Amino acid sequence: MTENLLEISHLTHKFPIDRRESLTALDDVSFTLRRGEIFGLVGESGSGKSTLARCVMNVYRPTAGKILFNGIETTDPRAFRKNRAYLQSARQMIFQDSNSSLDPKWQAWQVIAEPMRLQHVTPKRGSYRAEAEFQMHYVGLDPLYLDKYPPELSGGQRQRLAIARALTMEPELLVADEPIAALDVSIQAQIVNLFRHLQQEHGFTFLFIAHDLSMVEFLCDRVGVLYHGRLVELATAKELYANPLHPYTQALLSAIPVPDPRRERHRVLPEFPDTFPTDGVWTEIGPEHFVLKGENH
Amino acid sequence: MNEGFRVVGRRPMPAPAPAKKAAPKGRAAMIFLILLAAGCLIARFWTPKDPAYMDLANANKAPCGEFLFGTDTMGRDIFSMIFYGGGISLTIGLVSTAISTVLAMVLGTLSGFAPNWLDRLLMRLTEVFLSIPELLLVILLQAVLGKATPWSISLVLGLTGWTGIAKVVRTEVRRLRQSGYIVASRCMGGGFFRLLFGHLAPNFFSSILFMVVMNIRSAMVAESTLSFMGLGLPLETISWGSMLSLAEKALLTGSWWIILIPGAFLALTLLSITDLAHNFQTASARGQRNL
Repeated sequence: MTENLLEISHLTHKFPIDRRESLTALDDVSFTLRRGEIFGLVGESGSGKSTLARCVMNVYRPTAGKILFNGIETTDPRAFRKNRAYLQSARQMIFQDSNSSLDPKWQAWQVIAEPMRLQHVTPKRGSYRAEAEFQMHYVGLDPLYLDKYPPELSGGQRQRLAIARALTMEPELLVADEPIAALDVSIQAQIVNLFRHLQQEHGFTFLFIAHDLSMVEFLCDRVGVLYHGRLVELATAKELYANPLHPYTQALLSAIPVPDPRRERHRVLPEFPDTFPTDGVWTEIGPEHFVLKGENH
Repeated sequence: MNEGFRVVGRRPMPAPAPAKKAAPKGRAAMIFLILLAAGCLIARFWTPKDPAYMDLANANKAPCGEFLFGTDTMGRDIFSMIFYGGGISLTIGLVSTAISTVLAMVLGTLSGFAPNWLDRLLMRLTEVFLSIPELLLVILLQAVLGKATPWSISLVLGLTGWTGIAKVVRTEVRRLRQSGYIVASRCMGGGFFRLLFGHLAPNFFSSILFMVVMNIRSAMVAESTLSFMGLGLPLETISWGSMLSLAEKALLTGSWWIILIPGAFLALTLLSITDLAHNFQTASARGQRNL
């Protein structure tokens, strides 16, 4: 048992474009996830959030850098193979598009039972179906939907189904790659509340990737800001929202709409450049507040 | 003042007329194939003659009361032979298609999942394979395997007929492998065959269904062609192909029934299979639209 469940150090990932050129999706990213916390990762589209999630889940093999999960170096193929069964059940992932993350040809209970089948786990409640029913109940889905196919369910129901599938293995780490981006606002709130509730119940460590900043503020303990593949700021949620230091973080936070038309109308939006600095030194500003500090800002 | 809530603008709608259930398309083809398959399966119980018995006194008879479809040059009853031989021909079609389909699914999926260089290599190999005339390959393989039996013919045809399906499978897998459920299944520990038979095959099967059914057809054609050329099944093994191999002798004596009757059965069966495949295709396209 280590205090830090996930340690990411100097993670770099490049996608080859052609023989000479490549696109750097992640550039020297380092941070840690403590056991039992909810860590939010924010940034614009294309900032490398999904790439990071996929590197953590061993879908992509990073170009450079190291990921330690519970002391196991998952980026090392030999260590991965040795702990394959453990890693495959202790880390689970939820995707943005529940439409494509659930097999349209599988019934809901089969979807939930899939990880147990793959890992040859005997269901605690007798049968896979009973186990699926329990899990569905747990994420707030009526057992009526046990035999439905994903295309017959609504977006919110599908995302609940995906959450149920991820939780059947009682993972230590849950990676959610923009789980609420494809849902409408009222359902987003329901799902975020569900996440909060489930996290308190299970105590799993949660890497929550989003671009909806108000949801991140509500849900997360600590927040990292990713810009063009670089981690530019990292702080507790409270500190980050009260005192953003990096110009990109400031720009990002100023984009949150204020739910009061009178205040919103009088809000003065600062001028922002097209690009933000991504160079600088990773410095600790305050307690648990890190920022990529350049010379001229 | 608040008034009571009143529902306005609601008009009773006439009940919709019960939709007439449209007759499924291609019923004739389906019925023909089912009858033929059933007839072939229980051929030994109901056909009037022993198809292998050479009644030399009645050789080369035109269709009559005793021999419904006539007899061939060796005095065998063509009516009985049609149903015995049909069983062999259909079995060859089905078995070789099963072999081809499994091969195509495994190789296509392998290529679809492989890194670019391996994918390219596999596809070029497939194209090389595809560029060799199929009959040449079949003859070569058959020569290696020795004397032709229905099983060896099925195996040979199965081993040569997978290329087209494999290309479609590979394209489909390339499309599907980005889907979340494939990525999720791999993260949760799904191996190659789990992915193939659990997730991929159910999702791409409708796109290869047409080709699979057409493969039955082409295997049957290949069997008859081979037998007609004297390379396939020997005369004493009765199949539609080997029956047609008597055709050239029959031409000399002017006995049309030896050629036309097995030929007509073969043509009708192939037509029915094509029709069936076509209907499967439109049905699956409709099913996907309704999702």
